[in-house]
Amino acid sequence: MTPEIIAQVLISGLLMGLIYALVAAGLSLIFGLMDVVNFAHGELLMLAMYATFVIFAATGLDPVLQLPIVALLLFGAGVAIYRGLIGRALGVQFNRGTVQIFVTFGLAIFIRGAAQFIWGGDFRSVSGAWLSNRSAEFAGVFIPLPQLAASAVCLLAFAGLLLVSRTEFGKALEATREDRDAVALIGIDRNHVFALGWGLGAGAVGIAGAMLITFYYVSPSVGANFAVIAYVTVALGGFGSMLGALVAGVIIGEVEAITALVLEPSLKQIGMFAVYLAVLMFRPRGLFGRL
Amino acid sequence: MKHIAAAVAALLIAFGITPARAQNAAPKEVLVGAIYPLTGNAAQIGADARMAIDVITEVINGQHAPMPLAMGGGGGLANLGGAKLRVVFADHQNDPQKARAEAERLITQDKVVALIGSYTSATAVTISQVAERYEIPYLSMDNSSPSLHRRGLKWFFRTSPHDEMFTQAMFDFFAETGKKTGRPVRSVALFYEDSIFGTDSSNVQKKLAEAAGIKVAADIKYRANSPSLSAEAQRLRAANADVLMPSGYTSDAILILRSMQEIGYKPRAIMAQAAGYQEQAFLTASGPLAEGIFSRSSFALDAEKSRPAIGTINAMFRAKAGKDLNDNTSRQIVGVQTLADAINRAGSTKPEDIRRALTATDIPGDQTIMPWKGVKFDEMGQNQNATPVIQQVVNGMYRTVYPADVAVMEPTWNVGR
Repeated sequence: MTPEIIAQVLISGLLMGLIYALVAAGLSLIFGLMDVVNFAHGELLMLAMYATFVIFAATGLDPVLQLPIVALLLFGAGVAIYRGLIGRALGVQFNRGTVQIFVTFGLAIFIRGAAQFIWGGDFRSVSGAWLSNRSAEFAGVFIPLPQLAASAVCLLAFAGLLLVSRTEFGKALEATREDRDAVALIGIDRNHVFALGWGLGAGAVGIAGAMLITFYYVSPSVGANFAVIAYVTVALGGFGSMLGALVAGVIIGEVEAITALVLEPSLKQIGMFAVYLAVLMFRPRGLFGRL
Repeated sequence: MKHIAAAVAALLIAFGITPARAQNAAPKEVLVGAIYPLTGNAAQIGADARMAIDVITEVINGQHAPMPLAMGGGGGLANLGGAKLRVVFADHQNDPQKARAEAERLITQDKVVALIGSYTSATAVTISQVAERYEIPYLSMDNSSPSLHRRGLKWFFRTSPHDEMFTQAMFDFFAETGKKTGRPVRSVALFYEDSIFGTDSSNVQKKLAEAAGIKVAADIKYRANSPSLSAEAQRLRAANADVLMPSGYTSDAILILRSMQEIGYKPRAIMAQAAGYQEQAFLTASGPLAEGIFSRSSFALDAEKSRPAIGTINAMFRAKAGKDLNDNTSRQIVGVQTLADAINRAGSTKPEDIRRALTATDIPGDQTIMPWKGVKFDEMGQNQNATPVIQQVVNGMYRTVYPADVAVMEPTWNVGR
């Protein structure tokens, strides 16, 4: 095992980890805000990838330039999902937790079925985009440009999310998270805050999807490949913590890459789940969790 | 009065039923159950299978000029009074347990006379167990794991070649091309997914590589549908074998080619165990990266000269699917054709009669669309006349390069360069 191979694997793990982090960010945000685990998160990622694919096929607009469009589209989808489904599910009197699980789970199945109905089951990918299939080489170590760009966008998105938390709206988010009943007394409409929270969460996964399609295929079931990792990332980083999602994403990316290098690659998720189990045992609230 | 009315009613019912029963003796349709992935990651395979099966049932049932195919005369199953063959579909979602449940449902509720399917070998295992228990023939059309027919099953039949036959063809091709060019294969890297298909395939490859004195430079079992295959690609690059031999489904096929390209690695030759590598979605997504890939195939679209029905059948499929027949869809067509031929010869819908007719099957190759010697089952239910071909991607299309009698071009051989 030469130093180049080790460097290559570490870099691949880092780049992939930042993408895991961005996918997990939206999930973490929504959970932290209202204790709802969104089981349709992977499907939102899939929708974002299809949106980018369709716009690229129709207009030739590069995925990188589509970022704001897809983020806005998914923001709208997030708000609509909250207004149409989640808000109502939060209002039930009994078994609220179960109802929320079934609502988001049902939504996941619906989106997946609708995607297969509309686009068919085939695997599709964007080819001929600026970043497609391009790599830079430094001293025998290759850095794939699509992943590099996705990682940079991921860091920017995290910076953006942190900036949002400094604004008036961010404070309203934080206050609603602390006590959703008390905020009503000081004139914050919690439904409004929750809807925007869903919009932000979906928008973040929209950005992830638009970048992911530059190097990954899309199919109606692609969400499942990333969703499990996103749940582990959120639990590892601590529910509701943005910084936690970022750090946990990178840890998982690295652990996965290193496991695939030293063990049989079919066992590569063992490392990642072992870390997760250890955290559950010794620090159940996650690395940066406050709950 | 009441008694008389009841008696009349009983008589009417009796008369009403008797003629209907007499008609039922020659059924209007014969039901066959097909189990495929219709949702989930392999959903497109199921959708394509449905269109391929539609094409061949139209040929069998419809009224048209006779085609140069077994059962190509049309008009349904002649020995069953022109009964129509109808295929009902069930979805196994690539989950062996769902496949088992759907097989039971098709047999007990839909009363199918035989089962067909199922693309992935892991689901074929459970379907064949159910078929054996209920004593219903199961015709595996497109599953290639060698272990499937070696379990002493009485009701299992497979028209397709299995991975030992396919892999033997690959190594024969290596030997012949190595001799012809003077640049033999010295090492191979195995890269296979972690279910029965990949592991069975790699076991055969290991065995045959050893027998041919070829070194196995890497033996990598990977997790199917991974978000990333970068580290795996890195290990393949480090091994740097003469030929990379992957066995995997479409999604991973797309991803590993990209992952290798990202780290600047291009294997000198790739010899795929078909599956995902034969899919149009893979060729479209991979574009130039797929150029020059070899794959085994049971089908040769370019063998129209010796298999005159290919043109018509492919045109019918193209009208439905918008793409050409491939390794999978062609095997589904010959599978249904074989089953219809057996049911027709049985002249009965009794499972035992159909099974006996299947064991007596002998369809010559030129009565199918396959480049095979034909369809003839051995005592384990394996078609021993299924002779595979080797193809290579040229300008985004698979062209047959081996064996010589069906080859349309010379292979491009970069090993040893």
